[in-house]
Amino acid sequence: MLKTLWVIAHNTFRETIRDRILYSLIGFSILVIATSLLAASVSLGQDIRVIQSFGLTALLVFLLLITIFIGTQLVFREVERKTIYLVLSKPVKREVFYLGKFLGLALTIAVATAIMGAVFLALLAYKTKAFSWPALSAIGFMLMEAWLLTAIGMLFGSFTSPIASAIYTFCLAIIGHSSTSILTISQKSQPFLKYTLQGVYYVFPNLEKFNLRNEIIYNLTPQSPQVTAVILYFAAYTAALLLAGMAILKRDEF
Amino acid sequence: MSSSYPLAWKNISVFVVVGLFALGYVAQIRFDAWQFYSPSRINTTYNVYIEPQPLSSQTAKLASLGATEFMADYYWLTLIQYYGGGTPNGKYRKLAELFNTVTDLSPKFATAYQNGLLILPGEGFVDQAIALGKKGQQNLPDSWEMPYYTGLVYHIYKKDYVSAAKEFQKAADLPGAPPITKLFVAIYYNQADQRQIAYGIFKTIYDTTDDTYIKDRAAKYVGHLEMLFSLQDAVTTFHQKFGRNPKSLNELVDKKIISEIPVSPLGRNFVLDPKSGQVNDPVKS
Repeated sequence: MLKTLWVIAHNTFRETIRDRILYSLIGFSILVIATSLLAASVSLGQDIRVIQSFGLTALLVFLLLITIFIGTQLVFREVERKTIYLVLSKPVKREVFYLGKFLGLALTIAVATAIMGAVFLALLAYKTKAFSWPALSAIGFMLMEAWLLTAIGMLFGSFTSPIASAIYTFCLAIIGHSSTSILTISQKSQPFLKYTLQGVYYVFPNLEKFNLRNEIIYNLTPQSPQVTAVILYFAAYTAALLLAGMAILKRDEF
Repeated sequence: MSSSYPLAWKNISVFVVVGLFALGYVAQIRFDAWQFYSPSRINTTYNVYIEPQPLSSQTAKLASLGATEFMADYYWLTLIQYYGGGTPNGKYRKLAELFNTVTDLSPKFATAYQNGLLILPGEGFVDQAIALGKKGQQNLPDSWEMPYYTGLVYHIYKKDYVSAAKEFQKAADLPGAPPITKLFVAIYYNQADQRQIAYGIFKTIYDTTDDTYIKDRAAKYVGHLEMLFSLQDAVTTFHQKFGRNPKSLNELVDKKIISEIPVSPLGRNFVLDPKSGQVNDPVKS
């Protein structure tokens, strides 16, 4: 079973890494990250700060775009092109197929993050004359966020069209990044709204947990209880999403 | 023949595409020339200047989707462009609001507070500068610079030496404060020449900051005060020589006490009070 999983993951990786949209997004993101140098030059001596905040935000936005555009199409494309029959006619369980797809895409996203992250870190190192470990940890957290969103995108992609699932995933990304504001608003609200908003806060993915971008401006490295909690949250939430996706794919009739 | 026909078409289509691009290029040049040489048909002299309209801090935080430092930096760049670009209104009406938004979004952005405390009072936002300083003291309780710079505003712009002394006392008690800060507190209580203290305060800022802009600004203040002192010395020399105060600063030049009236790097004018012989540097209101 592990071999089958590896074969599917490897093929998915090859398929997605050849996607032209990936290249254009990576290319454009590198351009945007490099452009932060321009913004930094007019920042009254705050260049390092501006490169960090602009560069990391650009990196996250492009990572989310890659995740949404590619992740939501993955399963749907297989069903639409009927290539899924070719795979499932072999002794391959649907769950393994689904998990393999996720792992393959996760690998592609990791490669894309590595490329964009390397450019960003090199730019930062060039400016500060030192390697920034906090920035690397922030990128690591972003990668986890992208993987979590991939699982969300694939879950939606398993039962709706790519456009619909891209919109749903995008909305969840927005909600997930508004979680701090949602909690603040809930604390100031009437009981009904308060519990509704708290429900939203706890049920929807809390992507602000993965946000180290503000801390690294002050060169703060994440603390170990924080890292443990975030990794646990990521693992539990992603596993739950993957299991739900597998269950849907298992029940689907093509 | 049949095979050369499509080839010929291919050649023609390439020429057509190239030709169309060339035509586009010519049209572009003609348009630019027309725009450049023809008289302006729309009056663009009014209403082209738009002040920055920062969102309220709360809305900006909400809109940032967690990227609050990014949003703070965006407003920081906006602020710099705004302040550097000049204003036709005669006053940077949004300046205090922008400093407030930046520091609300990034409460530990020390340089923003320091710049705000140096820039805002000179632009007529004295109370807002003090409020910014107090906010900085709350958000950065270990920074001696926050009470120090606040004390400076009290001293220079409010002439409230008791509050200034209190702020310098707070600064002196914090780690990293230059030892001279304690001296300022002592001088305040001895009621020495306030301008000499101001000189010492700015000189300390100049010596301690790494921020190029703040250093530059402090250097300007130091230069300005040095000019003020040299003019005051010239008035004393004049008095010793002629037994009276000069009628104006120009008389110092006429009587060859000084070669010219220096131009303040802060853009302020030096004014002589002929009665007391005191040289002043009135602040913009």
